[in-house]
Amino acid sequence: MEFFLQQCVNALQWGSFYALIALGYTLVYGVLRLINFAHGDVFMVGAYLAFFVSTSLLAPDGMFGFSREVVLVLTIPLTMILTSMVGVTLERIAYRPLMRKGAHRLYVVITALMCGLILENGNLALLGASRRTLPELLDKTVYHIGGIAVTNLKLWVVFTAVLVFFALYFIVTRTRIGMAMRAVSWDRFALPLMGIPLEQVVVFTFALGSAIAGLGGLLFAMSYPVLEPYMGAMTGWKAFIAAVVGGIGDIRGAFVGGFLLAFVEVMVAAFLPSTFRDLFAFSILLIILWQRPTGIFGKPLTTKI
Amino acid sequence: MLRVTNLKAAYGKIEALHGISFHVEKGEIVTLIGSNGAGKSTTLKALMRLSPPESPTVTGGDITFDGVSILGMPAHRVVSDIRMTLAPEGRRIFGNLTVMENLQLASWSRKGEDIGKEIDRIFELFPRLAERARQRSDTLSGGEQQMLAVGRALMTKCSVLLLDEPSMGLAPLIMYDMFRTLKKLNAEGLTIIVVEQNAHLALKVADRGYVLDTGEIIAEGPAEELLHRPEIKAAYLGG
Repeated sequence: MEFFLQQCVNALQWGSFYALIALGYTLVYGVLRLINFAHGDVFMVGAYLAFFVSTSLLAPDGMFGFSREVVLVLTIPLTMILTSMVGVTLERIAYRPLMRKGAHRLYVVITALMCGLILENGNLALLGASRRTLPELLDKTVYHIGGIAVTNLKLWVVFTAVLVFFALYFIVTRTRIGMAMRAVSWDRFALPLMGIPLEQVVVFTFALGSAIAGLGGLLFAMSYPVLEPYMGAMTGWKAFIAAVVGGIGDIRGAFVGGFLLAFVEVMVAAFLPSTFRDLFAFSILLIILWQRPTGIFGKPLTTKI
Repeated sequence: MLRVTNLKAAYGKIEALHGISFHVEKGEIVTLIGSNGAGKSTTLKALMRLSPPESPTVTGGDITFDGVSILGMPAHRVVSDIRMTLAPEGRRIFGNLTVMENLQLASWSRKGEDIGKEIDRIFELFPRLAERARQRSDTLSGGEQQMLAVGRALMTKCSVLLLDEPSMGLAPLIMYDMFRTLKKLNAEGLTIIVVEQNAHLALKVADRGYVLDTGEIIAEGPAEELLHRPEIKAAYLGG
């Protein structure tokens, strides 16, 4: 029982990472009907940006004499802002010109895949293959509840994911820009007729999704402080699958899908040989999609004339 | 006020408008009639400066509003600065938003203004929308959707309203209601450009009309006069 609960805690942490990345996939898909396959690598870039921001702020001989707490508090917004700029840049130089020319969505998706590879290999070429370690920004405290060990970092990760979800849900359902985002997902053509600049809504969507990925990257780097250029590839793929299982385009789906995938993975690894993890996890997800091809929260699209 | 001179527009390499000229004065109802593929919708999309690929690229001529060319303006600026908007063909309301949200969204360019009064006014014009304010708009009937499309356009506080086939798919009674409402709005100062397949109805409410055929204007004049021209009667009004 204790072992099971301990695994649940681990699953919650992994689920938080998947959910934070999946939210970005689903936001961009929901608004543009574009699967932004570079998003997993934006998460990786976020982790690296967190590394550079925090190390330069911490530099002992530097001009800043910040304590680690202050560095952490500064690293969070700086990482999010810088990562969102990466996402917006991708949109501006890679996707927007294609969309303007009326290219079929397939070409934009392939472009996204290429952008991901460029980010991975660009990183490899610029920074080399050596792994980097994020400095410790948070003193580790371990709480023991019954027989279960929970670190303060794990609690923060899960709390952040939940907070981000509710904030995002609020933005999409209650604010003007959220209303515009939902409107674009239904009909891009009619949006300018309301006096709304379409590109502004698209940029906001990319900025938001990338900022969340950056936050995910920072938390991931704090939890598993080994950074390498390909860290976003597999995690990104899995988060994408989580978003699809949840029902891509629906932010509740991305959130639930992220945790679902993590639970399946962690439990398979805990009770079966760990080499079975991905095989079983993805087989289970395949069965879910087989039963509900539109995902848990997804609805088949119908249009009324 | 709005002047189109020798306008040429194309989808890719295919030219859809071969140099048309017309003008619309403040407070008028002007109709563009013609058969399928004549270039009526293309003209409205070009006026709105909507972007390709759904909309044409202007390849020649000019569109001016109060003497200033609007060719370099993106569509959302035409709405917010020129105060001209389009209720498009097929209505294109945001079906995943409620009726109220559709109306609120259209007031985007007037951030911070109190829009309560304007929404009340739309509900006064179209009481059916008030009953369904909290409903997802894809649950509305065709007639109600058309009301919402017009109501939403009015929420941009437009002074020029372009309508593309507002009668499409409507039952006759609802169709007459809609045109009565448009006439009323016009009496209050709204300038209207309406594109219609139902040429008879359009010419009845309009002040002036233009007849389009395969990308060219082949006839123009006061609506009353067009209604009685034998060749127009034969081609567009069913004898």
